Amino acid sequence: MTRFFSTNTSIFIFAFPALFIFTAFVVYPLFPELVISFQKHNGFSSQGFVGFENYNEIFSSKSFWKANTNTFIIVLLSTAVGLPISLLLAFLLDSQTNGTRRYFKAAGMLPAILSVTVIAQMWMAIYEPQWGLLNSLLRAIGLESLTQQWLTDRGIVIFSVAVAFLWQYIGLNTLLFYTGLKSIPKTYYEAALMDGAGPVKSALMITIPLLQEVIKFVLVISILGSMGMFAHVEVMTGGGPGYFSRTIVYELYYKAFMSSEFGVGSAVAVIYVLQCILITLVLNRFVAREKIEF
Amino acid sequence: MRKNWKTGTAFMMTLLLVTACGNSGNTPASEQTNTSPGKEKEVVSQEPVKLKLLTISSDQARQTIMKDYIKANLANELPGFEIEYEETSDVGAKMKVYNASGELPDVFWSGADYATAIINAGNQLNLEQSITDNGFINKFAVKEALKYKDGIYALSSGADAYFTPKIFYHKDIFQANNIEIPTTYDELVQASEKLLAAGIQPISAPGKGGWAPAFFMIQNMIQIEDPAVAQQLTENKIDFTHPVVKNGLDRVVRLAEMGAFGQGAANVDYGPAKEAFTQNKAAMYMMFSWELADLEANVPDIGFFDWPSAGEKYTPGSAIQFWGSPLAGYAVSAKSKNVEAAVKLAQYLAEQDAKYFTDTGSLVTLDVGAASTPAPLMQANIDAYNQANIKIPSLTVMMDPKTSTEYSNFGSLLMTGDYTSDDFINDFNDLWLANTYFE
Repeated sequence: MTRFFSTNTSIFIFAFPALFIFTAFVVYPLFPELVISFQKHNGFSSQGFVGFENYNEIFSSKSFWKANTNTFIIVLLSTAVGLPISLLLAFLLDSQTNGTRRYFKAAGMLPAILSVTVIAQMWMAIYEPQWGLLNSLLRAIGLESLTQQWLTDRGIVIFSVAVAFLWQYIGLNTLLFYTGLKSIPKTYYEAALMDGAGPVKSALMITIPLLQEVIKFVLVISILGSMGMFAHVEVMTGGGPGYFSRTIVYELYYKAFMSSEFGVGSAVAVIYVLQCILITLVLNRFVAREKIEF
Repeated sequence: MRKNWKTGTAFMMTLLLVTACGNSGNTPASEQTNTSPGKEKEVVSQEPVKLKLLTISSDQARQTIMKDYIKANLANELPGFEIEYEETSDVGAKMKVYNASGELPDVFWSGADYATAIINAGNQLNLEQSITDNGFINKFAVKEALKYKDGIYALSSGADAYFTPKIFYHKDIFQANNIEIPTTYDELVQASEKLLAAGIQPISAPGKGGWAPAFFMIQNMIQIEDPAVAQQLTENKIDFTHPVVKNGLDRVVRLAEMGAFGQGAANVDYGPAKEAFTQNKAAMYMMFSWELADLEANVPDIGFFDWPSAGEKYTPGSAIQFWGSPLAGYAVSAKSKNVEAAVKLAQYLAEQDAKYFTDTGSLVTLDVGAASTPAPLMQANIDAYNQANIKIPSLTVMMDPKTSTEYSNFGSLLMTGDYTSDDFINDFNDLWLANTYFE
């Protein structure tokens, strides 16, 4: 019996249901999506094959490039700002007492498990220009000149939405890093200490190299999660003002379900899938190529 | 033995998966039984008519109609009908999903922005023959308003045709700030300036998704200078480069730039915009008259005035925009397995709508018996409607889905105050010229 559970057959049997669902609902729809991307389709019926017309329309569309830029901004913020903050917070968490650590672990997880609608509505209230928390605080401390229309100013709306998105998941990333930190044996730090290494050198030479698998995992889920951001945009701004806070997934939804241009929406979806595949290949190629064991 | 065990395990797991997905738990009507204590089970011989309804639940009125009229009266008026209800604010998106799966609801709410696609796909039934044969068509005061091209594709109460955009206002706020009802656009701007100086938001209107600009604000800002230009636009005779149209866009921009709509207006949703007015945070509220019954009941100092004039060709109240489209209402799926029953249901639903609007004092074109006496403000609204010489349909229903969506999209930018009329024309006019609604 024990030998059966360690065979490839048993692995296949137990993975089969999830594989079947994944294939049926994720992989299979890519094929009709590709076909529809070459058609003029209103969501109800196809009006015929149009070749690359949908792709030409997308690539000449201001809203598509804005959506792509916005998605890139969110990915950049998520990785260049969100991940270092999460790692720092993980270090801080590690240095706390048990009680404090337990409290912040729970507090960090809470936003990640709350509904996106709840988080988005909360941040909408914070950003409300007249009576919202942020502008009210700025006025109270004499910084009225810094008050903004956080969700209607075309220049900053995407950053406002990105902050809400990052805030929701920074705690989760912190806990993932913390888990990785706890798996590193203390003996390495003791040996480094005896050799005269300070905390910064220990972090750079021991912690980060040994955390690379965790970093890679968090990087992948952060990037792909950021690429797929939709709900925050839909609730907070509806992609507006105009198209200035759309992400690529929102653009896909807008074209398919609001403009009734399923062909164009499918073409956006195909481009999105290709971008995700490219990013995953790049990450696999350049990040954590050699597993460090201890 | 081990091989058989492995095969058996794989078979059991596949079987579990298939049965978990397949079992709906519903008992077919033919096998339903009634059971009373002490009595043997008896098979019910009469099968109820089962129909699926997908309808709109966009606001309080719609929710009241569903709860207090449709569901409440169904057993009496359509005995033997068993309805599976589904309510949503985005019927168009749901219909696309149902269409893709081939399982259209028997009856659904038809909207002007997506009905043409369903009709062209042959999935929305032409009701003209059915309602002529059963005499239902004779209940409509204005039969022509039902027609879309070659037939009748939706049944409605006709209340839509009487909904017009209004400027509601707080009489108390106006009085406290010595503001007279504006009769010109410039007076409206001056009133807004006065209110801003007093720390009061002058106007509330839902800007999120460009709702107010697209649904009525742009059109009315054009009409108040020259109603004929607005009419020409709805007939696809001119485009947005027309100087009067540009002036109309400039009027929206001017109000937005001065902050008349409040901060962050481009992101204010329908509900919060209404709340800003009902909670006395805004002095005026630009909205359709479908809110009038609720506002009159709940806002003690409510009043309304006609859109102020911006030119000699319009005097306040002489021209009005009306809502409504022959494609808005209850439609029947051409693929329904019980078309006759579905048509009966659609007729019933239209009548329930009409009863609600009649009970709240609104006018309807579908006759459902004696009307109640309208409340004073509602009567004033009816009088204003009857006095208007020119009635212009809504521009936004004269657009295909893409054009309509982009019209709302760029309309939302007008509310930001940093997007000009020239920007709007540059961005939208080509899309208007590519509008396929009139084809």
